[in-house]
Amino acid sequence: MPPKPHRVLLDRVSGYADEAAAYMRRRRASRRPFARLYYRGGRAEDLAGDSAAGGELFVAAGRLIEVAGKRR
Amino acid sequence: MPDDAATGVVPGDAAAGALAYLAEMSLDLRGAAILDAEGEVLAASDRPERWREDAATLFEVADRAGGEPVEQVHIGTEQGEVFALRHGGLAAVVVTERFALASLTFFDMRAVLRDLAAAKPLPTLKGPEARKSRKRSPNGEGNAA
Repeated sequence: MPPKPHRVLLDRVSGYADEAAAYMRRRRASRRPFARLYYRGGRAEDLAGDSAAGGELFVAAGRLIEVAGKRR
Repeated sequence: MPDDAATGVVPGDAAAGALAYLAEMSLDLRGAAILDAEGEVLAASDRPERWREDAATLFEVADRAGGEPVEQVHIGTEQGEVFALRHGGLAAVVVTERFALASLTFFDMRAVLRDLAAAKPLPTLKGPEARKSRKRSPNGEGNAA
């Protein structure tokens, strides 16, 4: 007996949701620290953490995160 | 430190209101500060002196790295994310949880700074009851703001 039409739709939506959840899990696991600078005119620059400027930016960001503390 | 399009003086209580509005809009926000054209803190969630020093350091390093003044800075670390934005002669620095949506965070920051710089009153904050009604209920009702 063929499945009821709404079951097919539900299965399909669940499949998409599972795919999205897996994508988000992979993204969280694989995301590395980054520093991105944006300038007027739309220019953007990524700085590597092992570069001198990148390292300084991460230190400055770490101090800001420290002063902000934990979420209230 | 902020960009050179500085406008009139922004009163501290307006900046504090803007900060409260920003905290209301961004659920991932841990702390934030708004600074004036001289880099002085107009409002901060906590310890304004530390925010002033650390924000100045961040902008200085970022400006030096690119050889020109930055407009936006976004740094993601294991401990949290830092957003900094210059707009209308003001600057905002925000610290959020990890994985905050960058485009939305920058959008909210820019809107707040734009209204502050133009001395426009911020939209009235809705009370907790009004916010609750925006949330989607399990049966799909109550989504109208």
